[in-house]
Formats: sequence, C-alpha cells, structure tokens
Amino acid sequence: MSLQTAGHNLLEESVAEAGEASARPVKIGIRNVGKVFQIRGSDRPFTAVQDVSLDVREGEFLTLVGPSGCGKSTLLDLIAGLTSPTGGELLIDGTPIDGPGLDRGIVFQQYALFPWRTALANIEFGLEAKAVPKRERRERARHYLDLVGLDGFEHRYPHELSGGMRQRVAIARSLAFDPDVLLMDEPFAALDAQTRESLQEELLRIWEKTNKTIVFITHGIDEAVFLGQRVAVMTSRPGRIKRVLDITFDSREGDLRADPRFGEYRHHIWTLLRDEVAAAQEQERTIG
Amino acid sequence: MADETTLTAAHPAQERTAPPPAGPARTAAPEAGPGQAEPSGAATGSAVRGETGGTRTVTAARGDAPTDDDRVTNFFKVAGGRRTSAASRLATVVKRSLALVLLAALWEVLPRAGAVDPVFVPPLSEILVAWYDMLLAGQLPEHFQASLVRSLSGFGLAIVLAIPLGLAIGWYRPVADFLSPVLELFRNTSAVALLPVFILIFGLGETSKIVFVFYACAWPILLNTVSGVKTVEPLLIKSARSMGLGPVRLFQKVILPAAVPTIFTGIRLAGAYSILVLIFAEMVGAKAGLGYLIQDAQFNFRIPDMYAGIITISALGLLFNLLLLSVERRFSTWRTS
Ligand SMILES: Nc1ncnc2c1ncn2[C@@H]1O[C@H](COP(=O)(O)OP(=O)(O)OP(=O)(O)O)[C@@H](O)[C@H]1O
Ligand SMILES: [Mg+2]
Repeated sequence: MSLQTAGHNLLEESVAEAGEASARPVKIGIRNVGKVFQIRGSDRPFTAVQDVSLDVREGEFLTLVGPSGCGKSTLLDLIAGLTSPTGGELLIDGTPIDGPGLDRGIVFQQYALFPWRTALANIEFGLEAKAVPKRERRERARHYLDLVGLDGFEHRYPHELSGGMRQRVAIARSLAFDPDVLLMDEPFAALDAQTRESLQEELLRIWEKTNKTIVFITHGIDEAVFLGQRVAVMTSRPGRIKRVLDITFDSREGDLRADPRFGEYRHHIWTLLRDEVAAAQEQERTIG
Repeated sequence: MADETTLTAAHPAQERTAPPPAGPARTAAPEAGPGQAEPSGAATGSAVRGETGGTRTVTAARGDAPTDDDRVTNFFKVAGGRRTSAASRLATVVKRSLALVLLAALWEVLPRAGAVDPVFVPPLSEILVAWYDMLLAGQLPEHFQASLVRSLSGFGLAIVLAIPLGLAIGWYRPVADFLSPVLELFRNTSAVALLPVFILIFGLGETSKIVFVFYACAWPILLNTVSGVKTVEPLLIKSARSMGLGPVRLFQKVILPAAVPTIFTGIRLAGAYSILVLIFAEMVGAKAGLGYLIQDAQFNFRIPDMYAGIITISALGLLFNLLLLSVERRFSTWRTS
C-alpha cells in the first residue's frame, strides 16, 4: 500500500520538475521506433522493440532499465546508427540518424577491444578515426587511461587485462574522442563494487564538467537511481517504454544511497520491473 | 586447419544489411534480470569480480604494484627461476636431440653390423663424406640453388597473388559468388594431377615448375586468407563502425590485422608445400635441382649421393619452417597462446 503512495508522489513530482528540463533542446529524438528482425530459418518476424518514443535532452543523464532481452541493446544500436529502424524515426539534433558517427560514443556490453592493440593503442583508435595528430593522441590516450585508474597498463594487450580492466579501457576509449553523446551498455557490470562506485562518481564528474548527453543501460536499480536524472523503465519484449521517472534529490551531498528518497525510487522501479521480468522469463521459456 | 572453410559463408561486409541472428556477441548477454531476485534492490552488489579490492579505483588498479619487500623476494624468485629455466632448457635440448642422436647412431651401426644391406643403406658417415665431396665439387650448391630459386619464386608468387585474391573473396560477396564454383572445382583437383598439363603448356623448363609450385602454394594461402577475413569477430567490426570508420579504413585497421595470424598459418603451410611438390616436379623432368639429384643418383647407383640429397632437402624444409615460424611470431605477439 505504502508502495503505491510513494509511486504517486514521485509521479506528481515528475510533472512539476518537467518545466526546467524541457527548456533544453532535444538531443536524441526517438519517435515511434520499432525494430523487427528476420530470423534465419523462420518466416515469423521477431519484434525486438516496438513503438518506442523518448526524448533525451541535451546534457541529460538518462538511465535505461528493463528485463533481459527486452531490446535495450537494440535501442542503443539504433541510436548509434549501427542498425536502422524498421519503423518510426530517430533524430539527433533534429536531423534523422543516418549511420554511426563520432558525435556518439558507444561502450558495448561486451568489451569490444581490438586484441592486437595495446590498451593505449585501443584508446587511440577513435582519435585516429578523428585524425587527431599523433603527439596529441598519445597524450590524450594516457590522460584517459589514468582517469580510469589504469596508468602502468598502457602496453598490455587486452588478453593480459582482467575483464573489469578491459571494460575500463573501453570506457576510456569512448571518452577520449570526446563525443557529445555517450551510449553506455552496462559498462560497469563486470566490476567489483568499489571500482564500480568510484567509476560511477567519476562518470558523474565527467558528465557535470563536459555537459555530455548520456544514455546508460544498467541492470542495477541502485545504479540507475544513483546516476540518472531520469530513469526509463522498459517492458518485456517487444520492448516499449513503460514509464519514465524523474529522479530528484534535495542535495547530492553525503551518502546519497542512505537518503530515504533513494529507497523510495528504488522500490518504485523495482515494482515496475517485477511484472516485466516475470513476463520476460515466461516468454523465454515458451520460445525455448 | 582453416583449409576447410567453404567459400560461401556469411560475409562481414554484409553485416549491416544482414546481421547474423545468433552470433556469439548476442549469446553472451547475462541472464539475470534486474531486481528479479533482489527485492531490496541490492542488484549493484551482485556482480563482484576478482580484482584487488581496494577502496578506490587507484588502489584497485595498482594492486599488483610491488612494494620494496615484494621486490626483494621477487628478485630471488626471478633469479632462481632463471637458473631452473636454463637447466630445464638444457634438459629439453638433450631430450629432443637424444632421439636424433640415437637415429644417427643406428644408421651408422646397423649397416656396419650387417643388419641392413650397406649397399642400399650405407652408414651415415659415408653419406656425410659424400655430402661434403659434393659440396666441394660445387654439385650440391648448384642443385640447391636451382631448387631454392624455383620454390621461392613459386612461393613468393603465391603470396603476392593469393593474399589479395583471398582478401577480395573474403570481403566482397559478389567476388566470392562469382569465383567460388571455379575455386571449389580446382581446389579438389590435385596439383600433382595437373603437372602434366603444366608441362604441356609451359614446357619442361623453369616456368612449368614455378607455376606448379605456385599452384600448390596458392591454396593454403588463399583458403586461410578467406577464412581469416570472414571469421573476424563481428563485434570488433561493429565497434570500429561505431567510431565512424568507412569500409576502406575498416578493412585496413580491423579486418587486415585481425586476419594476419590466420593468413600466416596458410603461408607456413605453403612454405612446406613449396619444397614438397618441387622435389616431385624435379624428379619427373629436370636437369638440375635436388629432386633431380636424388633421381639421377639413384639411376646411376650413387647411393650415398642419393641420401645426401635427401638429407639436404629435409634440412632445407626444416630451416624454411623455422624461418616462417619466427616471422609469424613477430606478427602475432598479441595472441593469447
Ligand atoms: N541481430 C539480431 N537478430 C535477431 N534477433 C536479435 C538480434 N539482436 C537482438 N535480437 C533479439 O532481440 C531481443 C532484444 O535483444 P537485446 O540485445 O536488445 O536485449 P537487451 O535488452 O539488451 O538484453 P540484456 O539485458 O540481456 O543485454 C532479444 O530477444 C534478442 O534475441
Ligand atoms: Mg543488452
């Protein structure tokens, strides 16, 4: 019962807060987007996401949660321009997204590092694509390697790094070429709790300093509440946006996670997700 | 071996229009949904991974930086390690050469003892004397050079032509579709069966032999190159594309480096073939070369010379392989194993 009231309070607030945020221009516009996959050896089309509409405003930090397989990564691929939607349209700065570009940096769920390049050379990859001169490339790559706490590991190949270290190199790589938009797919999932927390804080610091627009997928409700200005909750597949929640705290000083509102948000999202996760599990069982 | 690749499987170039529906990148997604088992919302703590658990990133990352004490103990460990590794290396050298030494000894003793006919299998020392005589007489260098020039020409030609062709087949679907029926046909035609054809067309001279070596060497290089290009991890291609790389730079910066180790496997195989098939060609019809030397020695009953030729070929093959292996190692330091 108290759950319900907490939810309502939050919703009312989100309407009230909307005024300030909506003053900013829309950075990423997602309009009735759908993505249908043609599955090999089956003539039944497979709908991954359906009718998703969402505006991400400039400089906003949006976190995205949803049950496994609901189409979060698919949505991120669409924003990145790596695949094209089968319905609806996606806009960046008001113009339709037409392929990938260095204005958007993506951190993949699986560390997509180039195994033949050292940590440093991996970070330099995006800078090479951007035609940054060699000297500056080195310097910037080193800077971002330090930032993710990996100084001393510049000449290691990916197979000589732990999973968490690889993911940090991947994060440094997308930060290094300084994109306006950061698309992050569960980037901290493979890290230990301490490293994760310090990287979360680091990411918030970078975001505040650089005013990047960030779309951040996570399975951690805590993480979603801690990082996001808004949390978008997706339904089970075919993924749609179930609810978008504004997250506001009176103050971010001190231990945010101990704030009673933190618990309320967390609980609210958890209830929203519970049914979807159950539905998703049921679905997976029937598909096989 | 990667030889078994068919030429028509999915192409990375087609990634955007027809992504593989169930690639490894997709199956690797974690299973647990958010909050499903954690009503308290403690999901963030669930994925603890084994890095040094410092309180801050920096300490975690530097967890393996040695303190002074560590350094001292490590020094002894390393020093000790070096000594044992030198000793064990010596042991392996002894172990490895033991069989060879034994073989040489048997080869020397058995003919002398009359256990095998010394006319057909002369003792090793006689063969070595024959080898040395041929070396001084200039016979051996002449034949050696003839063989080397032929095999290197054919091998080099195969590298120069088969790699670009393989890259094209692996990367461009239309090229593969166009060429693969012909390639499948020829791939299953033995090079040896084609030697008479090469001789008919190119005559008994150098050309037919070089073409023959080229033909035999081209296959492993071609097939490995094709498979190297096609088996590039799709996620890496995706990652590079996300950073705005066009097809040309994608090829140069991702496909090529990723394919290099597989291509090298093909090159090494081809290196072995180049000597193997050449000897055959030289036995069928030639006036110089190690194959000719062996054949000629056998006809004229110069049995020690024949064995000397055989030993030279084995040594050449061994040397060639070692050379290619060391080059290969330099190019694939990043590989796990
Ligand atoms: N290229 C593809 N071809 C066919 N089906 C696909 C493809 N990519 C994704 N899918 C399907 O679309 C659905 C959504 O996948 P997606 O990877 O976006 O899920 P997700 O929400 O990121 O899941 P997770 O949280 O486990 O990472 C899944 O059921 C998946 O099987
Ligand atoms: Mg995903």
